[in-house]
Amino acid sequence: MRNVGIVGIGHIKFGKLEFELVDIMAWTALEAMKDAGIENGIDQVFVSNMGGGIINRQCGIASALVSNLNLEPAMAELVENGPASGSSAVKLGYMAIASGLANVVLVTGGETMRSLNGWQATDFVATLLHPEAEYNYGLTLPAFAGMFTRLYMEKYGLTEQHLAMISVKNHDNAALNPFAHVRLPVTLEAIYGNPDANVINPYMAEPLRIYDMCPVSDGAASLILCNMDIANRFRKKPIRIAGIGQATDTHCVHNRKDPLELTAVKGASEKAYKMAGIGPKEISFAELHDAFSILEVAESEEIGLFERGKAKNAIELGETRVTGRIPINSSGGLKAKGHPVGATGVSQIHELVKQLRREAEPGRQVKEPNYGLAINFGGHAEEN
Amino acid sequence: MLKKIDKNVYASKCPKCGHLHYPAPMRCHECKERRDPSKTVFADFEKVPLRGTCKLLTFTRVYALPDGYDLKYMNFGLVEFENGIRAAGQIMTDDLKLGMPLIAKTGVVKEVIGKDIYGLQFYPCE
Ligand SMILES: [Zn+2]
Repeated sequence: MRNVGIVGIGHIKFGKLEFELVDIMAWTALEAMKDAGIENGIDQVFVSNMGGGIINRQCGIASALVSNLNLEPAMAELVENGPASGSSAVKLGYMAIASGLANVVLVTGGETMRSLNGWQATDFVATLLHPEAEYNYGLTLPAFAGMFTRLYMEKYGLTEQHLAMISVKNHDNAALNPFAHVRLPVTLEAIYGNPDANVINPYMAEPLRIYDMCPVSDGAASLILCNMDIANRFRKKPIRIAGIGQATDTHCVHNRKDPLELTAVKGASEKAYKMAGIGPKEISFAELHDAFSILEVAESEEIGLFERGKAKNAIELGETRVTGRIPINSSGGLKAKGHPVGATGVSQIHELVKQLRREAEPGRQVKEPNYGLAINFGGHAEEN
Repeated sequence: MLKKIDKNVYASKCPKCGHLHYPAPMRCHECKERRDPSKTVFADFEKVPLRGTCKLLTFTRVYALPDGYDLKYMNFGLVEFENGIRAAGQIMTDDLKLGMPLIAKTGVVKEVIGKDIYGLQFYPCE
């Protein structure tokens, strides 16, 4: 297998964007190409997007992007894997280069969800639930996250205050990230533990509150991947993809043996560690899929950064802040950077590259990063 | 032709090893026996109605509800039946505790134009 590096990154500010889906994707692709110092020579394009067919009534987005960018005759495919589409596209880009099929790959993820109202956006994502055994009941991803949180709190003594502290941390990080959707810092006092907090931060899916949930965002991000043997042709030094892993779990959440175990997250991270020849101790920082704050807690334990049930101690000690021992979601995470579903996995890798190049903005640059890890998942922990 | 609405929710039982599944897969997760909707090669899986007492594994109260639910909030839960099958559904009481016993019935869980969709609803034991 050939080694694969990342030599170009591009990102648009997440939020409400007044442009067409393919146009915002194209904009970030051009940013990534500029960053890599190339105008052409892309062999393969992978586009990650979940809702083009449903939200935008547009299919065949990969070819549309190639044409928009005048990259013909590059090979092009759309990758739809729920909210994990972005990391799946990165994986396929990695495979295309590792196998020898391509030397230079453009990976672009994008989603425009702000044309939907809050409920429609939740309903759109809920289409990945089981149509009869889950979706028909009015169940949604927030509902499953709420049920997971209740069990987790009962078993490990996690409190709403811990979750609010995660939200505060991620808002602080996002405030320093020019690409983040929500750039307003929030104080713990404003969202937790007083009568006003119940108004500002009401329950959405008990025990989860609105500040435990990611906003609805438009956005896109792009990466240029290349064969490491030709990496010196590009403007920027390559960041090597040391390991990559993916796993799935049962479609219906109720069929998981232990509803508190994210076995797909664990399995995917074990594969990635093995490929990279490292373990959790070597990880300098991580971007985790915190569509709900509880997921940051649970994932950080599944991937071995903390013992099970112990992530709450790290939160109390501030270990997951940018200045802490193991920074998590230096970008602001899905919670504050935003979660345009198809873009998220690509955006997370964008952040890893930016941090590893020491290009992050002052105040949110991780100290001496060596290995960064990202977890992107779809549904309630089905894929990574 | 009018067809009587089947309001039940079923687990599906492997004809070879008896393993129960919900929802129904196209092959047994235990012995890998295949399901055959046409019944020409294999006997199809037997339908076992999901009802009766169950235990509440976890629950949530959701405030942002789908269009068509004209309610302030709804309670949802995961339960385990006595036969070991687990399922998700709507909970029809506000007085909830982890591990409490519930009775599973079926009712309209969703109304779409021209059609009522039946599913599991959990009630407190009398
Ligand atoms: Zn069987």
